[in-house]
Amino acid sequence: MAERTLTKVLPLRTAVSTSAGLASAAVNFLATVDVAIYVGGRSAWLAILVAGALIMLTASNFSELNGLFPSAAAIRVWTRRGLNDQLSLVSSLVYATTVVFVIAADAFVLGHVFQAAVPAVPGIVWVVVILGVTAVFNLRGVRVAGLVQDTNAFFLLGTLAVISIIVIASGPAMPVGSLFQMGPRWFQGVALGVFIFVGFEWVSPLAEEFQDARAIPRGMYMALGLIAVAFGLFALALADVFPHPASLSSSLIPQLLVGERALGPLGFWWMAVVTLTTAMTTFNGGLVSASRFVYALARERSLPPSWARLNARLVPARALLGLTALALVLALAVYATRQYTLLIDAGAGVESLMYALTTILIIRLRRREPNRPRPYRAFWYPVLPVTVGLVFVGLAAGALTTTAIPGGVPWALIFVLGLTAVATGYVMFGLPRKRREARKREPTLSHVNRAPKA
Amino acid sequence: MDALEKVLEGFVERCNKNPRLIAMNRDWTREVAIRATDTGEAFWIRSAAGQLSAGKGTATGPADLEIRADRDVLEAIFSGQMAPTEPYNQGDLLVRGSQDDLLRLDVITLMIWGE
Repeated sequence: MAERTLTKVLPLRTAVSTSAGLASAAVNFLATVDVAIYVGGRSAWLAILVAGALIMLTASNFSELNGLFPSAAAIRVWTRRGLNDQLSLVSSLVYATTVVFVIAADAFVLGHVFQAAVPAVPGIVWVVVILGVTAVFNLRGVRVAGLVQDTNAFFLLGTLAVISIIVIASGPAMPVGSLFQMGPRWFQGVALGVFIFVGFEWVSPLAEEFQDARAIPRGMYMALGLIAVAFGLFALALADVFPHPASLSSSLIPQLLVGERALGPLGFWWMAVVTLTTAMTTFNGGLVSASRFVYALARERSLPPSWARLNARLVPARALLGLTALALVLALAVYATRQYTLLIDAGAGVESLMYALTTILIIRLRRREPNRPRPYRAFWYPVLPVTVGLVFVGLAAGALTTTAIPGGVPWALIFVLGLTAVATGYVMFGLPRKRREARKREPTLSHVNRAPKA
Repeated sequence: MDALEKVLEGFVERCNKNPRLIAMNRDWTREVAIRATDTGEAFWIRSAAGQLSAGKGTATGPADLEIRADRDVLEAIFSGQMAPTEPYNQGDLLVRGSQDDLLRLDVITLMIWGE
C-alpha cells in the first residue's frame, strides 16, 4: 500500500540531534567521572567507547522494532505486541521513570554548577527555580523550538570535543601504556559508561514524523558516534586535569574545571552556559515526552483518567505537574544526600535491562508476526542480538550491584527492585480494580462539552 | 453510502456543532488521510476555519496526517466506541505525521465523547 506524501517531515539532522540531545544530559559529566573512578586510571575513554560500541548493537534492535511499529508509544506498543499487556505496562512504567531519574540528576548537577558560578545563591534554590520555570513554560504551551533543540546537542558535543582537545594538546604527553590500564572494576566502568548513552533511543517516538524509515536508524548511529567521541575526549581531558582518579570523586563540577583549564574564566563560564542549556533541554524534552506518555496511558485507562486532563493550551497539566513534583522531590533528596550515583547506577541498570529486552522482543515478534514488513532488520540475527542481550543482562547486574554508597549495600538494585514491585503491584492488583470501577460508572467531565455516545 | 463514510460524516457533524471545538480548530487547517488497511479503501477528513468535512477517496496533494488501521478499528474510533489511544498503544492504529496533530485528533474525540 503506497504511503501518502506528507506536507511536513523531519530531516535526518533532527534524528541525529534528537538522539544525541536526549542522551546528552548534564549528569553525563559526573557519569564520566564515575567511569574514570571505576576503571581506576586513564582508560575511561576506552570504557566509554566499548559501552558505545555495545549500545550501537542495541541500536540495531531498536531500528528493527521502530520499522516494524513506528509509533510515538514505541516501547508500549513493542512490548504489548511481543509480550503481553501486563508485562508491557510494568516495563513501560519502570522505563519511563528513568526520564525522571535523569531530570533529577541533571537538576542536582545544575544546582552545583550555579552554586560554583554564583556562590551567593544556594544551589538548591536554583534547582527549584529552574524546574519550576520549565514546568510553567510547558504548562503555557511554550515549547523549545526545534532549531534550538537541534542546535543545542551539536553545541554541547562540539564544545566538549574542542575544549577537551585544547586541554589534551596543552597538557603533558600521557604515557601510551597508561591509556590502556584496566583496573579490577573495569567491567563495572563499562556498565556505568552505558549511562552516558542513555536516552539515544528516545528518538524512536518521532518515527511517525519522518518520511524515510531509515532516518531513525541512521540518526541513532550517527548520534552514538558523536557522543562516544565527545565524551571519550572529555574522559581523556579529565585524566589530564585530575591525574589521580581518587581526587575526582570530590568534584561535582568537572566540566567547569576542564573548561577553566582550557580557556581560563571564559572556559569556566562557557561550560556553565553549556550545562545550563543542556539541562534545560533535558528538562523540557523529558517533561514533554514523559507527560505525553502518562497522558496516553491515562487515555487507555491504565492510569487514572484524570491524568489525561488537558489545560486550555492542550497540555496534559496534571501529568506534567505530577512528574515535575516527582523529579523535584527526587532532586531535593539527592541534593540533600549527595548520592547522585544512585540515580546513575539505577538509570544505567534499568536501561541495560531494557536493551536486553529488545532482543527478546525482536525474537518473539519475528515468530508472532513473521510477515509484517520490516524496513530494517537487526544485524546477524539471531546470534548477535542474543549475544548483545546476554551482555546487557551482565552490564545491568554490574551497574545495579555497584556499591558506590558507603556501607556496601547495593542501593541501586534495591531502588529498582522496589520500583518494579510497586509497578507490578499496581498492574496486577490496583489496575484491574480501577478498570472494573470505571466500567461501572459514567465518566464525568467538567472541562469539556459532552454529547451522548453514538 | 459506505458505512465508514457515514461514521465519518457523523463525526464531522458533531465537531461542527460543538462551539468549543469550532473555536479550538479555528486555526487548525489540516488534511487527514485515512486508509483502511484490510480493504485498501481511502477516506479523508479536512479541517479549515473551525469546520471539518469528510469523504471517501484519495484527496490530491500531500496530507498533513495519515492514519492507517483496519476498517472496524476506524469505525470504532470515529463513532466513539473506542478512544484512539487504545488501538494506537496496541499497534493496531498506525499514524504518520506530526504528534501535535495526532494529539489534536485525540483531543477532538475526547471532547466529543469524554474520557
